[in-house]
Amino acid sequence: MATRNDFENSYENKWCPGCGNFAILDSMKDAFAAMGLSPETLLLISGIGQAAKTPHFMRCNMFHTLHGRALPVATGAKVANHDLNILVNSGDGDCYGEGGNHFLNAIRRNVNITLLVHNNKIYGLTKGQASPTTDMGMVTKMQRHGVISESFNPLAVALAMKCGFVARGFSGDKKQLSGLIQDAMTFKGFAMIDILQPCVTFNKVNTFAWFKERVYDLAATGYAPDDYLKAFEVSQEWEEKIPTGIIFKKQRPAFTEKIEGLGSKTLISQTWNPEKIQTVLN
Amino acid sequence: MDITVKIGGEAGQGIQTVGALISQACHSAGYYLLSVNDFESRIRGGHSFLQIRVSDAPITAPSHRVALLVALNRQTYDLHKQEVDSTGVILLNDAENRVEKNTVRLNTVRLNIDELAIQAGGKITANTVAAGAVLSLMGADFQLIETILTKRFSSKGDGVVQMNVAAARLGYESMSGVDFSAKTVMKSSAPKGKLINGSRAAALGALAADCRFAAFYPMSPATAIMGAFDSFSDDFPIVTEQAEDEIAAMNMIIGASYAGVRAMTSTSGGGFCLMTEALGLAAMAETPVVVINAQRPGPATGLPTRTSQSDLLFVINASQDEFPRFVFAPGAPHETFETMIRAFHLSDKYQAPAIILMDQYLCDSSFVAEKPFAVPEKIERFIVGDDQIENSSEYQRFALTADGVSPRALPCAGRALSLATGNEHLEDGHISEDQTNRKKMVEKRLAKFSGMRAEMRAPETYHEGAALMLASWGSSNGAVKEATLALNEMGVDAGCMNLVDIWPFPGEPVAEILSKSRRFVVVECNSYAQLGKLIAQETGVQYDHAVLKYDGRPIYPIDILNDLKDAGLA
Repeated sequence: MATRNDFENSYENKWCPGCGNFAILDSMKDAFAAMGLSPETLLLISGIGQAAKTPHFMRCNMFHTLHGRALPVATGAKVANHDLNILVNSGDGDCYGEGGNHFLNAIRRNVNITLLVHNNKIYGLTKGQASPTTDMGMVTKMQRHGVISESFNPLAVALAMKCGFVARGFSGDKKQLSGLIQDAMTFKGFAMIDILQPCVTFNKVNTFAWFKERVYDLAATGYAPDDYLKAFEVSQEWEEKIPTGIIFKKQRPAFTEKIEGLGSKTLISQTWNPEKIQTVLN
Repeated sequence: MDITVKIGGEAGQGIQTVGALISQACHSAGYYLLSVNDFESRIRGGHSFLQIRVSDAPITAPSHRVALLVALNRQTYDLHKQEVDSTGVILLNDAENRVEKNTVRLNTVRLNIDELAIQAGGKITANTVAAGAVLSLMGADFQLIETILTKRFSSKGDGVVQMNVAAARLGYESMSGVDFSAKTVMKSSAPKGKLINGSRAAALGALAADCRFAAFYPMSPATAIMGAFDSFSDDFPIVTEQAEDEIAAMNMIIGASYAGVRAMTSTSGGGFCLMTEALGLAAMAETPVVVINAQRPGPATGLPTRTSQSDLLFVINASQDEFPRFVFAPGAPHETFETMIRAFHLSDKYQAPAIILMDQYLCDSSFVAEKPFAVPEKIERFIVGDDQIENSSEYQRFALTADGVSPRALPCAGRALSLATGNEHLEDGHISEDQTNRKKMVEKRLAKFSGMRAEMRAPETYHEGAALMLASWGSSNGAVKEATLALNEMGVDAGCMNLVDIWPFPGEPVAEILSKSRRFVVVECNSYAQLGKLIAQETGVQYDHAVLKYDGRPIYPIDILNDLKDAGLA
């Protein structure tokens, strides 16, 4: 049986002390251990950004790809072998900015993978520029007079695209987050968790305390994530109160299940049949 | 017999159908043929044409001399009547044209195609009427036409077959008494080989090479390759996915390949531009991929439905920094098929991307391929499992080796963990900014070059050692070969060589071939003489003259001959 320690590695962590990413990393390890997963059976895929470095700080298979491109890489890997247990680590800039089109289309396909978006509402790796989720009006080094574009609402967009598993986590609640990750990984289909986290270095507005004051657990209110329109309503809550937990959940056939001819057998495990191919070549 | 039939009209008038019927009939009668499309980027209207060269001897290029012109509309007649030689015949669709009597050339036969089609049972059979008329002039046995029509329309029921046979007969009989000097006897016979275009040949190559995943974004002229490949998915374990853009397509195939299946994409220059970032990822993560760039003229949107050979230097250098890659440029369908199989093999063997340069002319033109298309004896994947790794729990994906190629284990396939990244990395796949490591990793990737170069085949030559050597790459080789033969007939001591394997550049054999000739001329469909520049860069040999065509149309032997005459070389 795998334990949390099996996922530890000796690679030096490069995040700032106090970064919300540490709690996300911990929650992932907790979730994997609780699910009895071993490092050999896991594939983490990431794009570029502080969040995308996550796979390096864990012992398992990993592919750290290009900015914004984790989802198409993950889609290809899943088609090649739908038995792979794939989890994508991305950030607000990586997923909603550079990779926005891929985000929309991964949901449309309903690829059976788990997406964790580490959403600190700022660009960390490039040192503090506004991200798609930075709130209007926030002043940064590059947006000196405040952000003038509307903030991107990932949950509402995911719902509009009929994403089957939409959740929000908070790096300040590891127990809840670990549970959400387990639910997402068990879910058959595209499962996304937008995880609020503070950036201690560059986001002086949405601090740990700022989030802590506002977040509440939907599950504790008796909310049932099965009402599509209600979920939309919840996705609009911000400012005073920020809901966390599973916002919407509805299973639909996953991408590889919809591909005719693939069946239950993975693409990689099929056999090459030269005699049959030759009949087409003749 | 060696004649060219040209069929022109508006897009949507069924030019392709007339062409397909004539091609099939000639192919079934044992003739060699080469069918070239020339169409505009529109679905209806405008002016498009298709030309078929039919010969009883092997042919490798289209010809400029038209023997039979089928003008489905007035515009075709006006644009192309001058191309018809004095012994040729023009079939004029009178219903469409209403041409004044005194403007019609003597060898023009008026034919009310639509009227005959209605007589046969429906206007929809107009194309069959036209094909029947053309085949009658060429001397086809009617039985041959009937067989073709039955085969083509049998799935639509007896009624449709009968209607088309009647239409073909009306067209056929309308030509009785019309004199056509090249008329021959065409009967059902053993076909000379496979009638196939470059797109389908590429798809067959991918199938034979055990490619299982293809992702793409639609773009002319590359989409037909994906269409042909996808058609195999009904019977073979193949998945084709239309991605949201070329960026996604390229990244998807990298993901699929990383997870262990052979994967490819096809696009044209503009789409390739979007793929170049991920091309670098494939190189950095040492993940095999095969990418087809079906060239069309650029820059930007350029001429979407036309042909070009202008991305050679681009694909050799595409994506930032330096890394090893393969670049191939097959010239005809059989060569395309075999190149695809080699590209997948070599990409796996060296864990490096392979790029295939095709073009609209090669993709869309139908050739008779005489050599058989054979499935490879085996597929080597160059993948290791735990049992082949000494201490699999300590496995390092990018272990330093003498030849630069590290044993490749797949993710989640055993105890060995596969860690890959687009960042510079240590042997174990983790990010590293260490100077010494950086130098070692650059040298590791660079080390693959010598092995890859050793895999490159020397260009095929004809009359090696001739005083005048013509050099070409990719699909212009057919025209160059025929031009060379014509030069020889004119008494010019000429030879030619064609490069299929382009990168890593086979410098030694190329320099050796060129050293035997007094003069060397490059022939390419671009304006920079890209092959000429590449040869100079790689061998130090400077070309004496360049025959360049960059009007978006394929190069013809006559273009080469005229250019050489003007340059005083022929």
